[in-house]
Amino acid sequence: MLRRIAGSIGSLFGSRKERELDEELAFHIEKETEENVRRGMPPGEARRAALVRFGGVAKTKDETRDVRHAVWLDTTLQDVRYGIRTLRHNPGYAAAAVLTLALGIGANTAIFSVVHGVLLQSLPYGAGERLVRIRVDAPGAGINDGRFSPPEIRDLQERPRSFADVVEYHSMWFVLLGKAEPERVQTGVVSASFFDLLGVRPLLGRTFLPGEDKHGAEAVLVLSHDYWMRAFGGDPSVVGRVFQMNDRPHTVVGVLPPIPGYPQDNDVWMPISACPFRSDPSMENDRDAGMLGAFARLKPGVTLAGAQRDLTDLAGKLEADYPKSYPKTVRLALSPVALSEELTRTARPTFLMLFGTVGLVLLLACANVANLMLARLTRRRQELALRSALGAGKGRLARQLLTESVLLALTGGALGLVVAAAGQKMLVHFAERFTPRATEIGLSVPVLLFSLGVSLVVGIGLGLIPALSPRRSLTESLQEGRERTTAGAGRLRARNLLIVTQVAISFVLLAGAGLMLRTLWKLSQVDPGFRTERVLTSRLDLNFSRYKSDDEQRAFHASLLERLQAEPGVLSVALAGSFPLNERGPANGRFRMEGRPPVAVEALPRADFQRVSPDYFKTIGVPILKGRSLEPADRKDAPLSAVINQAMARRYWPGEDPIGRRIGVDGREPGVTQWVTIVGVSGDVRQYGLANPPVEQVYFSLLQFPGLSTTCLLRTAVDPSRMERLVRADVHAIGPEQPVDHFRTLAEVHSGALAAPRLTAILLAAFAGLALTITATGIAGVIAFSVGQRRREFGIRMALGALPSSVQRMVLGQGMRPVLAGLAFGLAGAIALTRIWASLLYEVSPTDPPTYFVVAFLLGVVAVLACFVPARRATAVDPMVALRG
Amino acid sequence: MTPSRSDLLQGTLDVLILKTLSPGAMHGWGISQRIQQLSQDVLAVNQGSLYPALHRLELKGWIEAEWGSSENNRKARFYSLTRSGRRQLAEETESWERFAAAVGRVLAAT
Repeated sequence: MLRRIAGSIGSLFGSRKERELDEELAFHIEKETEENVRRGMPPGEARRAALVRFGGVAKTKDETRDVRHAVWLDTTLQDVRYGIRTLRHNPGYAAAAVLTLALGIGANTAIFSVVHGVLLQSLPYGAGERLVRIRVDAPGAGINDGRFSPPEIRDLQERPRSFADVVEYHSMWFVLLGKAEPERVQTGVVSASFFDLLGVRPLLGRTFLPGEDKHGAEAVLVLSHDYWMRAFGGDPSVVGRVFQMNDRPHTVVGVLPPIPGYPQDNDVWMPISACPFRSDPSMENDRDAGMLGAFARLKPGVTLAGAQRDLTDLAGKLEADYPKSYPKTVRLALSPVALSEELTRTARPTFLMLFGTVGLVLLLACANVANLMLARLTRRRQELALRSALGAGKGRLARQLLTESVLLALTGGALGLVVAAAGQKMLVHFAERFTPRATEIGLSVPVLLFSLGVSLVVGIGLGLIPALSPRRSLTESLQEGRERTTAGAGRLRARNLLIVTQVAISFVLLAGAGLMLRTLWKLSQVDPGFRTERVLTSRLDLNFSRYKSDDEQRAFHASLLERLQAEPGVLSVALAGSFPLNERGPANGRFRMEGRPPVAVEALPRADFQRVSPDYFKTIGVPILKGRSLEPADRKDAPLSAVINQAMARRYWPGEDPIGRRIGVDGREPGVTQWVTIVGVSGDVRQYGLANPPVEQVYFSLLQFPGLSTTCLLRTAVDPSRMERLVRADVHAIGPEQPVDHFRTLAEVHSGALAAPRLTAILLAAFAGLALTITATGIAGVIAFSVGQRRREFGIRMALGALPSSVQRMVLGQGMRPVLAGLAFGLAGAIALTRIWASLLYEVSPTDPPTYFVVAFLLGVVAVLACFVPARRATAVDPMVALRG
Repeated sequence: MTPSRSDLLQGTLDVLILKTLSPGAMHGWGISQRIQQLSQDVLAVNQGSLYPALHRLELKGWIEAEWGSSENNRKARFYSLTRSGRRQLAEETESWERFAAAVGRVLAAT
């Protein structure tokens, strides 16, 4: 087997050899034939006799080839054995090289596993690369990546020729009954062919059948893999079970395999016919009721550009057919977005930067090992000279060195796999912050091959270094029985060059880490506009089948607020549609301003609408800057009141007092405008991410504008996490079937908002630290080696009266020269890479002078130390000893 | 005992090739002729088996090959001993002689 592999490798290089063998054998036969003719045989006979005598040309060729492969394998094994022996005799060198390479290759393997799992690997959907999401924009109406209405979905399904199929998607939560506790389940509501379009096969049971999304179909459910494991412990008998949802039985028909939580992390999936909102007849025909996402599969051979043309045509037709719904001014635009791109957009820049970083770390590691090898080569020159004197060819010696370095690299690579495996869990956690594809990360076969490939390239690259270094004649090498007084200039220059490179790369990496740390610091210093201490948040989405009317919702809210307010340890309590840094997206609404000239609906200003109970501002610590907060008096039958934030006041009432002004918003009934009086101005909060500036916000009174989606906020006198049981008990006392979940303190929410930049900064800092360590040992190694070789020179200098300190200064000066050059190159490199940093930074310039200064200083100090330690050791020697040695 | 044509053991062929090459470079056919001639036709080399052996010795670094032109100006591959090949020949010769002497002593004793 081994021989066959060796053979096939050998024959890759062997076609010339093959031809030569043919020629050689032909010559032999001819010669023998001639000889036979000379002996008197007739020519035909002579050739036949020659062939007989030869005994099978093909067989000979085979045997010769076999010999070549066997010998190749033999020498390789011999080289490997010899390599292992030499490395065992130099455990310090071998360990240093292997460890350095293990860290470098391990970091690369780990990050490549992320890049491969998320960015390179094809989507875990059968239909793979032909999947698109259809995007709708109407800049004139302020719609940026909006939703489709049911009639629009029908248009998409009927019109464009580019698509093999178009399916719809939306997600809602419902309450699932039939388990021990009522459970709020996030539900993906889809066309029956949704999973067929994606190419997802069920793990158990089936997905939806054609027709199951039509009116009157039995309600069925498919469970996500994650929810199945979480809620049912992976019990396969769940298929066939019946649960109550929305006051009707739903039968579980299947379980999905683990796929990315995309478009959202849904617990269960149902066909559109089972969704009470979606299947409502009024919704069915309302062209303006945008609530759906659209996904499509391109027909084979159709490009994104082709699909785009079709969609542009469709938008034009819609504008022509329904001028009321799509006036020209809104500029309706439809476009396809490749799903692969969609799933990884936020992850790409960060992951690629990390990949670049570990690539540079590996380069550093290689430079260090190269340095070690060069140093050892100098010491080994006599051994090599001796072996060459004993008849080893130049090629054979080079091959031996190559085998050794490949051995080192492969060992390093194997150890690197351990490093990568150890970091795997943390990396998946990290990647989850950026992409739903994080679950696909793993040390899969392509990742292992990558690791092997990198190890081989590194090993071969390092093995070629000795071949590139200047050759010397045999006698010259053998004469070097003694240390020479000066170092070989060529080799030293090569090693100085390595130091320049290492310092430059380290500078770039440290600058990147520094900028990221500065960004993290800036972000953590951002005043979010609210106080995070001792606030417990939870999700309290009302079961709509139980609390259908506004009054029912109001009653629930009021009694819950009353109960919680009375609990000991609760300082204040609020219910709100959302709260800052929560995952819920913006709720944009249009409004009219009283006393301003009327404008078309599409041109109305928009703001983020929030619904909050009176104590909201007090509970999360948002100051009221002007006027008053919302009050319990702002109830159902009182005049409608709202608080706006400062950003809104500045934008729409610059230099004026907004208090007492009225804004008009759409009421429940179409065409009716409700006028709301502004009673106060609150401070701004960072509602949608710490890096995003505050948006204009209107806070309506929850008592006047109730709703199903709420969160419950508690400011407490004690540790807020201890109040969780209390909230559950009170909620269940009012509504036994009402779920409440997702308990977090506001401090956790705030810290979660920093998690992505924090993890990125930590990773970058770790890699930069690794780079700095590698570089420092590299510099120290080079200096130690060069002063070691110059011990006699120093002895002479000191014998002639030079002070140890002046010799040290000289060593330091010579050692620091390549370091300074490296700093200069590093600075230039970091500035050149500015554009890559920019998108990841927050309020830090990519050429931030303090960062660059600190990095240069740090590197300088480390380099001086790295030079100083060996310099000191060199001058500590007694001059006489040095001279005699 | 009449001399019989015996098959050559592999190692023996190797040493015979080395010996044949010790005066100077030679091509494959020449080597086969020479071995046959020197052994007075007792050792009839199966000519085909010569080539695997030549290539093995070359790869071991004991002989090296070079393309040159033959007596009548045809392209032929010439083999010659390397330094380590020469040393190998010396070693092999010595151990062969030791072996032959030992066998001879054993045979003489009975």
